[in-house]
Amino acid sequence: MPLASPLAGAPRLVCTIAVRTLEWQAWDDVYIVYQPSSAETHVFNETTALILRCLEQGPLSRKMVKERVEETLGVGLGKLAADDFAFATQRLEELGLIECLDEASVVQ
Amino acid sequence: MNKMTSETQRAQRLLLDALKTPEKLPTLPPADWELLLRVARRVRLLGRLESDLSRSGLLASIPPRAAAHLKAARNVIEHRNTLVRWEVNRILWALKSIKTPLILLKGAAYLLAELPPARGRIFADLDLLIPEERIGEVEERLLECGWFKTQIDPYDDRYYRVWMHEIPPLRHRERGTEIDIHHRLLPRTSRLKSDPASLFMAARPLTHPRLRVLAPADMVLHSLVHLFLEGDPDEGLRLRDLVDVHDLLCHFGQEPGFWAGLTPRARELGFGRPLFYGLHHAQRLLGTQIPSVVLQELEDAAPAWPVRHLMNHLIHLALLPGHPDHPSSLATFSRWLLYVRAHWLRMPTNLLSRHLAHKTWLRFRGARKRIDLAQLDLKQQ
Amino acid sequence: MIVGDLSRRELGERIAGPGLALQFGPFNLRIRSNLKSFASLAYQLYEPYPLPGTESIIDFHVQIASPRGLRQWMRPQACFAIDGQAPFAPYAVEHAFPALEWGINWCVATRAHHLLLLHSAVIERNGQAMLFPAAPGDGKSTLCTALIHSGWRLMSDEFGLVRPTDGMLLPVPRLIPLKNESIEVIRRFRPEAIIGPAFYGTRKGTVAHVRPPADSIERAQEPARPRWFVFPRWIANAPLALEPMSKSQAFLMVATNAFNYEVLDETAFQLVADMVRSSDCYSLSYSNLDEAIAALDELSRAIDE
Repeated sequence: MPLASPLAGAPRLVCTIAVRTLEWQAWDDVYIVYQPSSAETHVFNETTALILRCLEQGPLSRKMVKERVEETLGVGLGKLAADDFAFATQRLEELGLIECLDEASVVQ
Repeated sequence: MNKMTSETQRAQRLLLDALKTPEKLPTLPPADWELLLRVARRVRLLGRLESDLSRSGLLASIPPRAAAHLKAARNVIEHRNTLVRWEVNRILWALKSIKTPLILLKGAAYLLAELPPARGRIFADLDLLIPEERIGEVEERLLECGWFKTQIDPYDDRYYRVWMHEIPPLRHRERGTEIDIHHRLLPRTSRLKSDPASLFMAARPLTHPRLRVLAPADMVLHSLVHLFLEGDPDEGLRLRDLVDVHDLLCHFGQEPGFWAGLTPRARELGFGRPLFYGLHHAQRLLGTQIPSVVLQELEDAAPAWPVRHLMNHLIHLALLPGHPDHPSSLATFSRWLLYVRAHWLRMPTNLLSRHLAHKTWLRFRGARKRIDLAQLDLKQQ
Repeated sequence: MIVGDLSRRELGERIAGPGLALQFGPFNLRIRSNLKSFASLAYQLYEPYPLPGTESIIDFHVQIASPRGLRQWMRPQACFAIDGQAPFAPYAVEHAFPALEWGINWCVATRAHHLLLLHSAVIERNGQAMLFPAAPGDGKSTLCTALIHSGWRLMSDEFGLVRPTDGMLLPVPRLIPLKNESIEVIRRFRPEAIIGPAFYGTRKGTVAHVRPPADSIERAQEPARPRWFVFPRWIANAPLALEPMSKSQAFLMVATNAFNYEVLDETAFQLVADMVRSSDCYSLSYSNLDEAIAALDELSRAIDE
């Protein structure tokens, strides 16, 4: 099997169209966000909000998102707990705000 | 004519006139509005009135107090519509690696296909039709993605799986929407035999490549089957289901070949009798325009005269709401009778008596479902 | 015209016959009952409430009645019904009055979705409203009752009705149900308060109803703008503590407490956000009613300056 380049074929995360209609309210240290597509109200911390902001620009691999969030937060690379990050992305996926792009499937 | 009957007739007349000629509603005096709101709410057609008035720009011309009730119904409906659309979105996400056709039924179909019955209509659950051989896989995947089986006793669970046309409902652990997954339109035990394979073949795609809806004739027939065979002991036959049928007939009636193909398809699927009743009552109560050749064609699907006469009477009593202050025990009995009949059509007698006996026993034992305010709301609009 | 303008006999005839129509804030009700005991209580406790005009549309047609038949003689019951349907199991006939009051709450909560329905006590002074979002067993009704007998107007004990078009709060000044020890607390605190009979052994313990001062009922069509959210907790022997609360927390508590926040979609989100943003939010711990009242009076005076 030919050696694939490191990033080719790495699954990428991308924002769904639901993100475009989100209504954000910033309070104290959290964001309270309304999602019109699901009629749900969410509470996001800074990290989760940053994940969404990163992905709004375009698809990125998980590794890239994590690095950019760490950079913006001003913590060192690799300092953001992998578990927490995974939990946040999983949650965002469940909420229909991001999705994992492999070649074939894209949920509208 | 005693007061009870004349009041009931007044209530029914108000409702049917409101459905047929909503443009006259601004001239209704307050006392009539009061009664109309009550009966419309009883048969869950408040949203329909709101929608009719709203699209004619007449909401500002009715008493503000009446408009408030209609607005309340509209808010509930729009919220539920959002939930149904979103549930479809989440189901597609959960099932993205399972390549099975998904046919939306009833409310979800009307909503996503933007059909007239979606107007002003409240949809409680989401109904899907999936080939029987994929059901296990689909259920398993949904359970992995956060849905759970609603709590029912083992008797009901077995009843669903062995005899019915659907698996027990699923509900997502965070959201409230219930999903009913069907593999056929009628239970296996039903006296009306129908084979789902041809439904899948005739299904039409929606904008989203993975979603389908039933072909027009099949959709009409399913809504008739739903109307006549999926009753409720309290509500009897749901007038709003007949309104759906009326809407679908008016909409698809404009498609070339629709009327010509309707009766043959009904015969093919074994749904001649429900079509017969449905067309007659839609025409009689709601004034649906039906080509006379179609009605003539169906005459051989009609039951013998005495049954026909009785059924017409019962259906009429069961479909139309009574006056909320003057309940008619005759109407209540008709509703119950038709409910039993609906069950009779769905299962053989030995099963039926066991089933009803078990249900009655549960009722006496006081096994009440937890009062779910959200579900209650749905019955109130 | 108010209920008190009817003779006792006339009221009895209406309740037993076509129904007694009366107005609770934005809602017109028609109440029927075949229970004489109920009619007597209605005459006493609903006395100041206005009767809607004869041409008015009635919003809720409710009934509290004892069913006919064998049941009548065995264990008499009272059944609440709206539009001929009974959403609850029957109550003991002695509890007919509280049953109707709770039934009316249910009607509002399940039908009035043209408004945002917060679960909150609301009082008013100088056109500005103070809301006490509900939490179980927190004594909001006791505090609310004390305040409306100390210079504040009652807008509501149970429902914060928000009008979506402009975010104003609408009054629905109904009887306030006090439970268990609170009844005695209020009797001692304000002996002049008008309190109906106590009902023992109800599903919520002992219940008695306070009739709000006539002024609150006379001004039932006067809306007010929300200005303070106060989350009260009565704690035995606690020193008074009135502390600002984080707005994000206030938002979440108000939203999760509302009856129909989800139903109103985006509108609810915006309304709650606007209300919380333009109000001061506090948590209040107290054990002494006078102290609590003084602290809240201070809040309302502070903005006058």
